[in-house]
Amino acid sequence: MSLPPSVLQQQIPLGDLLELKSFTEVCQSFAELYRIGVKVFDAAGNKLVDMKVGNADFCGYIWQKPDGRSQCIATVQRVKGEAVPEEPNPTVFDCFSGCRYAVQPVLYEGDVIGRVVFGPFVPDDLVALPNTLTSISADFDERLAAGYMQKIRRVPRATAEKVLKHFAELVDVLVFTGHKNLLTARLHIEAVQESYRELHEKNAQLQEAFHALKELDRLKSNFLATMSHELRTPLTSVIGYSEMMLEGLGGPLTAEQREYLQIIMEKGESLLQLITSILDISKIEAGRVRLAMAEVDLAAVMRDAVSTVMPLARKKGLRLSWQPAPLPRILGDREKLRQCLINLVNNAVKFTPAGGAVSVEARSLPGERVALAVADTGIGIPSQHLPRVFDVFYQVDGSSTREFGGAGLGLAIVRSYVEAHGGEVSVESIVGKGTTFTMVLPVAGKPAAVAPQGGEAASGGAGALGVAAAPQGVPASPPSSAAAG
Amino acid sequence: MVTLNKETRELSIKVVYYGPALSGKTTNLQALFQKIEPKVRGRLMTIDTKDDRTLFFDMMPVFFRTAAGIKVKLKLYTVPGQVMHESTRRIVLQGTDAVAFVADGRRSEAGTTLAYWNNMLRNLEANGLDPRTLPIVIQKNKMDLPDQRDDDFADLRQSANAPVVPAVAVRGEGVLETLHALLLVVYRDMEQRIGIGSRWGIGEREFLDAIFTHVDVRGSRVQAAGSAP
Repeated sequence: MSLPPSVLQQQIPLGDLLELKSFTEVCQSFAELYRIGVKVFDAAGNKLVDMKVGNADFCGYIWQKPDGRSQCIATVQRVKGEAVPEEPNPTVFDCFSGCRYAVQPVLYEGDVIGRVVFGPFVPDDLVALPNTLTSISADFDERLAAGYMQKIRRVPRATAEKVLKHFAELVDVLVFTGHKNLLTARLHIEAVQESYRELHEKNAQLQEAFHALKELDRLKSNFLATMSHELRTPLTSVIGYSEMMLEGLGGPLTAEQREYLQIIMEKGESLLQLITSILDISKIEAGRVRLAMAEVDLAAVMRDAVSTVMPLARKKGLRLSWQPAPLPRILGDREKLRQCLINLVNNAVKFTPAGGAVSVEARSLPGERVALAVADTGIGIPSQHLPRVFDVFYQVDGSSTREFGGAGLGLAIVRSYVEAHGGEVSVESIVGKGTTFTMVLPVAGKPAAVAPQGGEAASGGAGALGVAAAPQGVPASPPSSAAAG
Repeated sequence: MVTLNKETRELSIKVVYYGPALSGKTTNLQALFQKIEPKVRGRLMTIDTKDDRTLFFDMMPVFFRTAAGIKVKLKLYTVPGQVMHESTRRIVLQGTDAVAFVADGRRSEAGTTLAYWNNMLRNLEANGLDPRTLPIVIQKNKMDLPDQRDDDFADLRQSANAPVVPAVAVRGEGVLETLHALLLVVYRDMEQRIGIGSRWGIGEREFLDAIFTHVDVRGSRVQAAGSAP
């Protein structure tokens, strides 16, 4: 890594250190005040300012003569380019015309970065036009030239030096101020660019780490899906053969054998439910769930779900009831909705102590929507856990000594399926009083492309939940299961 | 990088005063500004954008000629100490020829000092500079305060063999000694890299005298002749 060269490392030309327009104005007012011409050159000899005062006629007349012109050019070259000492004092250049120039170097940080040329002015000791001028041409008109020279200011040496010193100090302040402003502005940009570059670099590292994590997450989901599938196959045999033996296909059973077989079957079923849930969540995470949309009678779904969980509720000593209500038929995936309701009712039963009650209700909502609510009189959920209960694997009591079992998948599946229908699921709870889960579904069943675990649809990639409105499509949903944990 | 322009016979040296916030970097430059003759130095420029605090640093040029007529241009910078000025620190450090690391000598500041030292090492590296070969001097500042550490900055000097110069910069003490020690290391570094003595004929004494004859050395251990006792 290496930084681009900073302005601090560069030699800045005089023209960039001065604001030329306003500097020209300063030179103009200076030239008018002292009635002396001012020229400013940078170190490379570029002319930055040129103010003429009073010499136009005089120099113009000389310029008409070929010899005058060539000598004039030579003088200008000397004044502009001849080396002057690196000291804060002026150097005087005499012109063949009798006029004079004073050259003051512009020193900054020990370097000569330009020069200021004053003149032409007439030295106050000049008595007559010098020979070097009058001899430039045979027809030289001395009276006319002398008349023109009257328009150029006569300056005593001491005055010239004072004026120059004053101007040099002025330029020094202007150059310093200009340099400071330039550094401030340019370094400000450099600092921001450097910060940006650094952020960009860190972002790239984060992005890389993010991609690596996503890839790991995908591998995990794949593993889960494959394993679940592999686990289910032998389990189906365990349950199937137990069932066959219970039906007496393997010969008569003793009461004890029958009881053992029933336990094997029951535990096999609950293991199957768990594996099925894992498979569902893997599919959701991999974006492989498709909804098989059809008209659904919600009353039938409620009845079905309640009857499925009823044995469990009775065994725990709970009242489980449902209120039939006149409901429109909605467009949705019957099997998935049934599973959602079973998950919610199962949850309610699990977290409600003996003697409590679980009720399932439905009602129409304005805006062509229906609500399905599962209310219990259970232990409730502390408010700080409410925002996360729909997250995959999330447990309100995540300790190893927790009272209630479960894999933390049921509610995550509910949310994914409901959101896939274009609906939403919410929860209200009072600790010690009970909990109500409510699913709100659109009657017209507008499947939305919803990301797994909600809210990451924008990140793209393989995360999006593919939902197809396919009334006659083959439901790729998991085989019906009695309930999900 | 030290540049010796053969045509113009000019030598440019960049020195950066680095260190934690409030360790005394600007105080060093202000003291030098007072002690160096105005004709061999420029103004002390302080760049401070008060509103957004993106920038904050000082700069002072010093320029002199050796007896052999070589023009030496020494540019002294400070970096902003506040943590948030990281990018400015890195920019100011670009192409530096030497670093004066100004450290608060108190025990209580040892943690901060080491953190800034490491920060400097990282920023030097980002600029392609090697702290093991770059001339560095550590200034142990604020010697007038209690709770002084007595380990001679062993933690810092593990990564660079830098001499330590004691100072109370706020009273101007040790400031010239620090510059002197630094320029001495710079000279030896220049001898190795460009042969300033062997090829250019500028002796160590001549080099140091050229600047320190223009410095008010009264009250310091740097003698008028330009050599430390």
